[in-house]
Amino acid sequence: MSESSMTRRDFLRTTAAAAVVGTAGISLLAQPDAQKKANVVLIRHQHVVDSEGKLNPKILEEMFDESMATFFRTKNAGDAWKKIVKPGDVVGIKTNVWRYLRTPLELEQVMKTRIMAVGVQEKDIAIDDRGILSNPVFARATALINVRPMRAHNWSGVGGCLKNYIMFTPNPPDYHPDSCIDLGALWKLPAVEGKTRLNVLLMLTPQFHCLGPHHFDKQFTWAYNGIIVGTDPVAVDAVGLKIIEAQRKLFFKEDSPMRPPVRHIKAAEEKHGIGIANLAAIEIVRLGWKEDSLI
Amino acid sequence: MADKAALNRSVQCGVNLHHKATAVCLQTQRLMFFSLENPIISTITFKEPMSSIFLLLTLAMTPSDTMTYSAMQKLVPASIRGWQASEPARFYSGREIFQYMDGAGEVYLAYGFSRLLVQRYARPQQEEILVEIFDMGLPRNAFGAFTNMQGRGPAVAIGQAAEYKSGLLSFWRGRFFVCVMIDNENEEATKAVFDLGSRIAESIGDDGPIPSLLHVLPQELFELQTLRYFFRHEILNIHFYVADKNIFRLNESTDAVLVRLKSDKSHLLLIQYPSSKEAAAAYADFTASYLPDARAEGWIQTENKKWTGCSVHQKYVLAVFDAVTLADAQNLLATLQRILP
Repeated sequence: MSESSMTRRDFLRTTAAAAVVGTAGISLLAQPDAQKKANVVLIRHQHVVDSEGKLNPKILEEMFDESMATFFRTKNAGDAWKKIVKPGDVVGIKTNVWRYLRTPLELEQVMKTRIMAVGVQEKDIAIDDRGILSNPVFARATALINVRPMRAHNWSGVGGCLKNYIMFTPNPPDYHPDSCIDLGALWKLPAVEGKTRLNVLLMLTPQFHCLGPHHFDKQFTWAYNGIIVGTDPVAVDAVGLKIIEAQRKLFFKEDSPMRPPVRHIKAAEEKHGIGIANLAAIEIVRLGWKEDSLI
Repeated sequence: MADKAALNRSVQCGVNLHHKATAVCLQTQRLMFFSLENPIISTITFKEPMSSIFLLLTLAMTPSDTMTYSAMQKLVPASIRGWQASEPARFYSGREIFQYMDGAGEVYLAYGFSRLLVQRYARPQQEEILVEIFDMGLPRNAFGAFTNMQGRGPAVAIGQAAEYKSGLLSFWRGRFFVCVMIDNENEEATKAVFDLGSRIAESIGDDGPIPSLLHVLPQELFELQTLRYFFRHEILNIHFYVADKNIFRLNESTDAVLVRLKSDKSHLLLIQYPSSKEAAAAYADFTASYLPDARAEGWIQTENKKWTGCSVHQKYVLAVFDAVTLADAQNLLATLQRILP
């Protein structure tokens, strides 16, 4: 074959150097670049999801507010929202409604309430997933909020904040080749570029493994009880990926790379330049419950 | 634009459509394909006489290896155990699958997906039951789609092979791969899922052949639930990432099986090509791309300290990945070469 190929051995070389197999080439050893450093907040609460998997909305709201105030270095969440939306904004909240692991309705409503508290009119806020291209509010949106749960995906490896924007294209299959490696390009679409003010990756009960399309099994989720908040979608996803890879190693009792390997996160940094995938260059501010944080 | 009046006109013209939800509008030598569920799919202008178009159209819409929508509809009952079909069945053909699922649709397309029927069932104060029937065109495709998901849970006796776990029943029979699912299990709903699956399997009727490549693989060597059958490199990469390029030259004319061995958890890949020439070319591609530093025997200790090797035997390529010892891996390939046709 004339064209050079990226093989499993290339991944093994990278990950062997980091003593971690399966990180899909996201380097853990690279030196932080002060010019490109990203920040995320990882907040966890032991009781946000109980032993039967039931969500405590009040704790979730408190966690989210605390993460916002911390990330934006404000006294409270209200002030944090004032930093990212203005009264004249039209705001699209891009959620995810996958039937087995959707964004909690309660969190969507908290976001809407906080945005309205800033002064944005209710008619200028929409919460949508699969209908965003035909949603009139999204069509005139000046600001986007991106929120979804992290889960294993049979074609892209994982579905996180980067993948959540695939509904912004009228032709999603264009982004499917090579394990969806070019999902980062979505963030340069006219409807998206420069508009995203916040990325929230829900790690409440992430799904770390799947067998087949739209496969869901509670056996492959666990109560991590966390939320990752940031403005860099690549950094948020890179941290989330590291956590579920660590959980896979615990669960399967061996190095168990995501299947297929996650390539779009690294490519979002190196090819599309929309954020930071290098974990060594991402500052993680940790709040709340620390046990078994896996990162 | 097509509209209901156009639909009525086409039906009144007596066009013999085998596609229950699709009609064709004939207006001044133009054909507009549309469905009751979707806007216009495509518009084509012809210069040929319309009589020819009728024939072409009928042939194009009823390929011999797929079932018509009305025939597919007959695979699902109107009710079961108090659950009633809660809305008309939805159908998706080819790349329309992306209207139903996003990236996951690529998996079915990689297995030759043809058509999908989606039927929902409701019963007051009970779980919704969702049925997906994938017409995969060929039995080998349906078998492959099943193996892509197998290992989820215990086997059950429905269709040619089935598994049930956590509310999801999946099985294959003939050229169909079927999923019947509920979000939250309870005794009554679970019984309904099993009854529905059994009814659909009976409606499908005939079994389909299992790919012959399976018969040459000694079953005692591997865990059955790890077996994956495929013919596209994208599916190989889901289960065991080898390379971004198709360095094994997999395509619709090849058959491939990936299993995980009981002995040392290494992966064995066995591929059958149409000819020994094509097998040799694939072997050359793989060794050049993946094992350029291997010794003449075709083995290398890779960066994870495990052994990977490959051999070619007539129209077969065999590869072992991540074997713990070189000797065991070499013995395995030698044994397989002796029993291959």
